[in-house]
Amino acid sequence: VFEMVYYLLSNNHVNSIIVHKFDFSDEEIMAYYISFLKTLSLKLNNHTVHFFYNEHTNDFALYTEAIKFFNHPESMVRIAVRTITLNVYKVDNQHMLHYIRDKTAVPYFSNLVWFIGSHVIELDKCVQTDEEHKNRGKLSDLVAEHLDHLHYLNDILIINCEFLNDVLTDHLLNRLFLPLYVYSLVSPETSEERKISPQVSLYLLSQVFLIIHYQPLVNALADVILNGDLSAFSSQTDVHSTHKNMVSAGGVRRFSKPPESLERSLELSRHRGRKRTQKRPNYKNLGEEDDERAGEGGEREKGKEIEMVVMDKSKVSDLTEQNITDEEKTAAATRTHTQRSRPFLDMVYSALDCTSDDYHALFVLCLLYAVSHSRGVNRDLLERLQLPVPGQERSSYSVVLVERLIRIMNQVRLATLELSCLLLKQSVLSGTRCIIKDVHLACLEVKGAPDTNMLTFKLLFLLSFQGEEIFLDMFEDEYRSMTSKPLNVEYLMMDASILLPPTGTPLTGIDFVKRLPCGDVEKTRRAIRVFFMLRALSLQLQGEPETQLPLTRPEDLIKMDDVLDLNNSDLIACMVVSKDGSQAQRFLAVDVYQMSLVEPETKRLGWGVVKFAGLLQDMQVSGVEDDSRALNIIIHKPSSNPHAKPLPILQANFIFADHIRCIIAKQRLAKGRIQARRMKMQRIAALLDLPVQPGATEVLGFGQTANALPSGLPFRFYEQSRRAPNDPTANRSVFASVDKVPGFAVAHCIPQHSPSPLSSPSPPSSGSGSTGRCDSVTASTISAQSPAAPALAPSLTPASQPTISLLTDNLSVESLTLLPPADSPHLHPCAAALSLQRPDASVLEEEDASPTDETDITVKDETTETTELVTPTDEGGEDDFIYLFAHKEKHFSPPEVDSGGTAAEIKAH
Amino acid sequence: MEAIWLYQFRLIVIGDSTVGKSCLIRRFTEGRFAQVSDPTVGVDFFSRLVEIEPGKRIKLQIWDTAGQERFRSITRAYYRNSVGGLLLFDITNRRSFQNVHDWLEEARSHVQPHSIVFLLVGHKCDLEAQRQVTRQEAEKLAGAYGMRYIETSARDAINVEHAFTELTREIFALVRSGDITIQEGWEGVKSGFVPNVVHSSEEVTKSDRRCLC
Repeated sequence: VFEMVYYLLSNNHVNSIIVHKFDFSDEEIMAYYISFLKTLSLKLNNHTVHFFYNEHTNDFALYTEAIKFFNHPESMVRIAVRTITLNVYKVDNQHMLHYIRDKTAVPYFSNLVWFIGSHVIELDKCVQTDEEHKNRGKLSDLVAEHLDHLHYLNDILIINCEFLNDVLTDHLLNRLFLPLYVYSLVSPETSEERKISPQVSLYLLSQVFLIIHYQPLVNALADVILNGDLSAFSSQTDVHSTHKNMVSAGGVRRFSKPPESLERSLELSRHRGRKRTQKRPNYKNLGEEDDERAGEGGEREKGKEIEMVVMDKSKVSDLTEQNITDEEKTAAATRTHTQRSRPFLDMVYSALDCTSDDYHALFVLCLLYAVSHSRGVNRDLLERLQLPVPGQERSSYSVVLVERLIRIMNQVRLATLELSCLLLKQSVLSGTRCIIKDVHLACLEVKGAPDTNMLTFKLLFLLSFQGEEIFLDMFEDEYRSMTSKPLNVEYLMMDASILLPPTGTPLTGIDFVKRLPCGDVEKTRRAIRVFFMLRALSLQLQGEPETQLPLTRPEDLIKMDDVLDLNNSDLIACMVVSKDGSQAQRFLAVDVYQMSLVEPETKRLGWGVVKFAGLLQDMQVSGVEDDSRALNIIIHKPSSNPHAKPLPILQANFIFADHIRCIIAKQRLAKGRIQARRMKMQRIAALLDLPVQPGATEVLGFGQTANALPSGLPFRFYEQSRRAPNDPTANRSVFASVDKVPGFAVAHCIPQHSPSPLSSPSPPSSGSGSTGRCDSVTASTISAQSPAAPALAPSLTPASQPTISLLTDNLSVESLTLLPPADSPHLHPCAAALSLQRPDASVLEEEDASPTDETDITVKDETTETTELVTPTDEGGEDDFIYLFAHKEKHFSPPEVDSGGTAAEIKAH
Repeated sequence: MEAIWLYQFRLIVIGDSTVGKSCLIRRFTEGRFAQVSDPTVGVDFFSRLVEIEPGKRIKLQIWDTAGQERFRSITRAYYRNSVGGLLLFDITNRRSFQNVHDWLEEARSHVQPHSIVFLLVGHKCDLEAQRQVTRQEAEKLAGAYGMRYIETSARDAINVEHAFTELTREIFALVRSGDITIQEGWEGVKSGFVPNVVHSSEEVTKSDRRCLC
């Protein structure tokens, strides 16, 4: 095969076809032609390259003819050109690569850079002239085009042909990124030099750092942005460039059109190569010195030529000459104002300000994220500026940045919030240690409070209108979709829609996290997400594991093939007829959160093997026509996508022995469903520091013991009952309490794989890595506070708290009626309770200065009078902020304080 | 009567190597089965007209990824300029089925925030005896990703036509409903009535013509 290819190629016919002047205005001919070149380029290797590249005549028609089409209007032609160039660059032939660099690199790269820049300016124009998001389609295309460019540049750079990379890096830095992108960050709006608007610049720079990791390029770029001043643009001495021998190193960084077209440049270059003239220093005409250049001697020679290039360049236009002086003036002026000016960094930080909106802030966050995650940016540079370096041990962080991050809160898009949490964590977490100062932590809490409040009232708002049904589903859905789809910064930066000013309407088709909420349901969704993010943040900063969320962890649930101790449980025998007609004899057991279908375990009397288990909350029960002994039961799979059609995991008719049993089962299931949902709502309420509804604990039979438990307990479902079946007291108390609720079976569940659960002496906390710590904390607090308290499964105990509720006939939030819980005779507004108990924690409840909706205003009247600012003490150190957090969770809780009274009975539906 | 096309859709065919991408495309565009297939090099696009309703023809440009260099920028450009695609796996090769997710992820990472309309294709269904992937599990997977599933064989010409027409219909419906819009600078969908894109009629009638742009 090789021989044949060699034969075909060796007689130079191919090259004469390549240089033939076809009629390229014909689309078809163009397509065939470029595809032909591409096919040839795919065959290039160190041997075949000689058929195309002639060392003696300095001809490489395949390459030079192809790159003439680099800016062809048809994108598929451009892609073919790029494929050809990449195939050429990756052939490791020094002579050929030297030729590429010396004869073609400058013309090609300077034109390429100009082409990219022109797209950028068009993109900016598209953003500037947009009205009502009408330009989104075009903008999206231009953004994709920019990404194409960056990926192409990156593909060249990662071939890692060093001297090609030097030329390319130089052009990119000095002709594109610095003059066009970076300089636009600081130049005043009216200035001629400002080519693009700052938000576009920030966005595009983020893309650069996310895609390109070539160290000499991105480090130099990052250094100017983070550390540089305007002298980078005006002075002749270039302190930043690592490429001192580069074309414009001694010159001025400017985005300017190449003096002539690529085709003309190549022609001139070729011509000169043959005649060995020195007329146009613009094109490194050093063909005759190939051997020397391959060695070390080339550098000096190159430097000399560069100077000539610069001189040549400065003569190109008087207009640009004028601009240099303007730049110098600006730079000089800036220097007199500030001692050590970092105008770019200042701009970046000030753009984090979200007082009006988070339009710019989102891009800055992305940029900081991208720079700090870039493999090409020196860690030293980031550390010097105390910028967040992921996974790095350190003892300090940038106060400026952290304070600005903390300030990002209200009225921002979820993506902005998520990113700022991410960067904040990156800033103050060193390994597993948190180095945040208490003052910042306190700020964070204050900042979080208004939003949490908002959520609280949204919750109530929703309760009053739609009932808790939808709220619970929404709450769990949001958690699922948030955790299943964590923010991907790279994907975020591929979306052109964020380039236009933030908007609220979903009619734009913009993703929920990338816009503001629209309407009450979305506002609630947003508030829920904000709550999740801030909670995760504060837990992580304290180094505490999440023990409450998600409300249902799959590993805590009864699963198929689990073996349960069902002695003393209510079991109803039934025939389960599934949709496909298959039948099975099962026992129906209703648990706190789940219903399960079991069959007897053969080895142990009174135990059962689970054949199916499903969440009660997702269940629908209905009667069956013509059969008074049967129930139709559907259980839907909880979906993370609220728009998706609910998927049933169980759809069957249950046939019972008689009508009575059928009615009992129906009641038990229906009641179980309500109870399961109510339990979860109480856990949400506890999470939000909202009081639990009165009577709920009584209903569940925990009235006595629950009061002894502090709030903030892990509510893990079944954690303890699974693990501590050997404690007879615990067992008894569970069953004792269960007995108060007819029709409520609490089963002891032991995973089958556990070898001998009954004899296992392990303490409750030993089993689970993630919740272990909390379990032990719980255990110790229980014993400290009430030694007699049995080791109840914490998941079964809602925190005992003052109660708040809404009167269903009064729909407005203002008419909140506060009633005492059953055991406390006095009535106090809840905010008063807070300040009575923990004056030092009241800082946590400080109201936002600008409440955003009417509910906030009404609350304000109650809370402001009792709010006092507390300056966190300095001596406490780390313990101090944990203290703050700990008390934030507690401040509603102790029921023995005769206050707390905010409640009314709510009719559940 | 002039055989003019209403739209041009650019499609990609992806999947592990040796699942039979080229064979499927050739069966569809050339009506033959290449028993011994040399790795396709250089020829990017195969074209064919498809009539989805009487008088309504769609020109399909199908990109064959075989033999292409895996430069990210190049792959990205092809993905980005495609409106739909066939995601192939070999029913006799379980590994190729397990990689379906990765292929979808790759496509996704290139075209964010847009998406490509995919059809899951279980290829080589003539080799029933060597089947390693059941129709049920393939259908389930397709359902999970919101795709349709079709089993084809290029050798026995089973469902090849059907697979391409189904995908074309699905895209056509999305274009009709406005869910997919024609954008200047995007080559996934082109309208046949834009003057500078309309090809002369005799070009278009050569339905198995190879377009090499």
